[in-house]
Amino acid sequence: MNTANLEGKYTLAVDGKNYDLEITGKPNTPKAEVKLGDQKIKSKLSYTDTWMQVLLSSPDSTKTEYTRLIAKVGENTNKISGRAILSNGQETTFSATKAAEKLEEPKKKEENKEETLLPIVPLTYPNMAYGFKELPKQEAILFKNATVWTNTEKGILEKTDVLIRDGKIAEVGTNLSAGKAKVIDASGKHLTTGIIDEHSHIGASAINEAGQNSSAEVTMEDVIDPTDINIYRNLAGGVTSIQLLHGSANPIGGRSAIMKLKWGSNAKEMIFPDSPKFIKFALGENVKQSNWDSKSRFPQTRMGVEQVFTDYFSQARDYEAAKKTGNYRKDIEMETIVEILNGNRFVSSHSYIQSEINMLMKVAEAFDFRINTFTHILEGYKVADKMKEHGAGASTFSDWWAYKYEVKDAIPYNAAIMHNAGLTVAINSDDGEMSRRLNQEAAKSVKYGGISEEEAWKFVTLNPAKLLHLDHRVGSIETGKDGDVVLWSGNPLSIYSKAEKTLIEGAVYFDLEKDKVLRNEIAQQKNMLTGQMLSAKNGGAKTQPATKKEDQKMHCDTLVTY
Amino acid sequence: MMKRLKITLLLGILILTSSLYAQQSPTSAQTEAVTIVGATAHIGNGEIIENSLIIFENGILTQVLDASTTKMQYRGTIINAEGKHVYPGFIAPNTTLGLVEIASLRPTDDEDEIGEMLPHIRSLVAYNAESQIVESMRPNGVLIGQIVPRGGTISGTSSVVQFDAWNWEDASIKKDAGLHINWPNSFKRGRWWLGEERGLKPNEKYAEEVLKLTQFFNNSRAYVAGDQKQENLPFKSMDAIFNNGKKVFVHVDGEREIVDAIQFKKDQNLKDMVIVGGYDAVKVADLIKAENIAILSPRPHSTPNQDDEDYDYNYKLAKLLTDKGILVGLESSGQMERANTRNLPFYAGTVAASGMDKEQALKLITLNNAKILGIDDRLGTLEKGKDATLFISEGDALDMRTNKLTKAFIQGRELSLESHQTELYHRYSDKYENQKE
Repeated sequence: MNTANLEGKYTLAVDGKNYDLEITGKPNTPKAEVKLGDQKIKSKLSYTDTWMQVLLSSPDSTKTEYTRLIAKVGENTNKISGRAILSNGQETTFSATKAAEKLEEPKKKEENKEETLLPIVPLTYPNMAYGFKELPKQEAILFKNATVWTNTEKGILEKTDVLIRDGKIAEVGTNLSAGKAKVIDASGKHLTTGIIDEHSHIGASAINEAGQNSSAEVTMEDVIDPTDINIYRNLAGGVTSIQLLHGSANPIGGRSAIMKLKWGSNAKEMIFPDSPKFIKFALGENVKQSNWDSKSRFPQTRMGVEQVFTDYFSQARDYEAAKKTGNYRKDIEMETIVEILNGNRFVSSHSYIQSEINMLMKVAEAFDFRINTFTHILEGYKVADKMKEHGAGASTFSDWWAYKYEVKDAIPYNAAIMHNAGLTVAINSDDGEMSRRLNQEAAKSVKYGGISEEEAWKFVTLNPAKLLHLDHRVGSIETGKDGDVVLWSGNPLSIYSKAEKTLIEGAVYFDLEKDKVLRNEIAQQKNMLTGQMLSAKNGGAKTQPATKKEDQKMHCDTLVTY
Repeated sequence: MMKRLKITLLLGILILTSSLYAQQSPTSAQTEAVTIVGATAHIGNGEIIENSLIIFENGILTQVLDASTTKMQYRGTIINAEGKHVYPGFIAPNTTLGLVEIASLRPTDDEDEIGEMLPHIRSLVAYNAESQIVESMRPNGVLIGQIVPRGGTISGTSSVVQFDAWNWEDASIKKDAGLHINWPNSFKRGRWWLGEERGLKPNEKYAEEVLKLTQFFNNSRAYVAGDQKQENLPFKSMDAIFNNGKKVFVHVDGEREIVDAIQFKKDQNLKDMVIVGGYDAVKVADLIKAENIAILSPRPHSTPNQDDEDYDYNYKLAKLLTDKGILVGLESSGQMERANTRNLPFYAGTVAASGMDKEQALKLITLNNAKILGIDDRLGTLEKGKDATLFISEGDALDMRTNKLTKAFIQGRELSLESHQTELYHRYSDKYENQKE
């Protein structure tokens, strides 16, 4: 790239002030001197790869505030214009017009070093963007005149009040008296139970223990990451509970963590209290490593997958028998599989094509237990009758397909066909982006297959609650259920609706208005931190190139986490 | 008994339909006029006609009027569409539809040629007009696409196609219309599999990479201006850029990169440049506006790059840029981009949910995309003289609850709304219906 010679005198116009800017020195290491009238303004200039950056101190020398100027400078240096970031974080433009090429000798001056105490911002829960200064507390709240999607035989009720108290839904009716409760006018708005994602990988620091074909000994409860911003973003999409599943690298995966998205809490507090035990199973391309480089682990075919299950289940029966004799060595993997065989731990099995779905049901039946949920289950529509007979539920994607061979016959009508065949059907995400729009994914069942809106809504609320055996706690709006509710600006299935408030157990974890306030605070804090860094840099502190640790977007097939 | 007979009849029709449409044959040219009466017509330019009269003949719209104020004679087949909605066919820019069928299967993948500077590579010849994924666009109203090669610094040349054709030649609407550049990144990701540290860090070779691109442009310009004695296909193909005003689509996201790309446009004297992506474009919106550059804004259904960004930044990005006076369209690249492109209408709906007027949001995937692809003389709105590429939906097509197509036309030809997917739907719905009997 061509480096321009910036040398010269400029009139610098920024934020309504005219400064005198003098640039001296070699073309690739120019120096700047800035004056506002007679007052000298501290400044720092850098110029690399045709990009000029100028740092201007405040004319008020008691303040450590900076204005930053950024401009791309072409060969023409008569007028330089670019972006200015003012000390308050506001962005505007600036221009520097060349007044003369000829320069006087620059003078050197010693500047006084000042010791100042840097302001300290409060810690938040979690200590990052959108963290709470104080954890949300349970409140008594009365939603007045809402359209209430009850998910019960009462259906969708117009102009109805819902009272939340002590973390529970205390009353549903009309003209409820508020008592001490805070009243929220919900006229024209819709109140629903919180969305439940049966298949999620957010809020985790690892997904797959992929070294062996059974990893029943590991649990996702050990890898909950309560600082994943996707938890907050899910709340902003009306999601209150998720099943954090192990990945799909092994036929027998790891144990699940069922969570309430109590943003700001620690990992342990996020675990759904007294939630039933679950484990992930997986079938098909992922477990036979179809899309991996290595091809050495058993199984490599769907034939082998059947034998893996049969083998482990037989081992577990032997282990159980040995345990009864008292002469045994405790094995957590075997303990877990025994729980499965005895119906004390439910299976959610990643599955795609009809042959493997049928196979797993037959293996389970041979060992006298049932597969609780087939997750993904994109060819469930081909064996819905057999699943019904077996007693399995289904949790599927709304419209994903064509990303690998085993989803060639995946159709968006899958949920509708399975629902019509009498299965309990949920729509899940497996994806941190889609999970925050599960209301829209449910709405796709209205388009594909003509499911009624009331039933479609249950696909992301009541039905996943049933699949997770939590429908006595969550999934509907009726007295005694957990106060996990969402206030929507309109019909929750409509693309035009937004979650305005998301409550978990009566505490407000997301509030659209509060979100606006947080955005401003974050912008101010970010600006302050940048100012402090610039101040340190100007004071001669060591610098390093900007780097960023990226959060990984995790899916079922995420193997290596970083 | 009557009920049973009805069900059997219905089943018979279903089975017949599904076998009839087992393979969706493109239809032949329009011979009879079609009149659509009574629908709410969403023109695509921001306007609405509540009670419309739409007539098309020989593939071209001949009348788009307010039915309540005209005495125009109906012509040909009359479709009563009262209570329904008519839209111009949605246009999906920056897609790889037809270039890849199943993402994980390399034999079905023709999107990324080996090499860095490949302006002569043409997507059109690899476009599979019989792709099952392309077929699945149509029931959602997505009828036109820009087929774009991927990879390298200059990926190649795109063409615009329509989605009801026997082969790529018939599909072509605008041949070899755009050049696609992946602008270098000033940051790079650590290649952890090579032992480098993970995450983002400054790309020390950024300036060098931009220089290489500049040199390629300079060299090809010199070649084109010279005697061209020795054949050089990449250089030669650049003639269309320098001398025929072929559009340059620069895929670029960062603030610095966008400003550098705009300087490149000036230095290279490029007539028509479009920014594809432009994640950080808001920061330099005034410059983009001043240079009169359009943006194909990324799919709103994606998550913000930074933890501290607004949770709805991606939802509202197209609105923020439109508010700055920039011409903005919506594109759908990203995770599972081919299958997901049928959600293009809902991307526009999401922008509307962030405060943009619904008809303005519709423009993002109709007129604006048509302008950006240079096909607005024929497509993008329901206006007299344009192609009769349109569809009828039972309700608001930007909302998944109500996007239900009853009829669709490309150049006046009514096309099937069946697909591999609806065929399986009928087949298995029938299976369970039969079990009930």
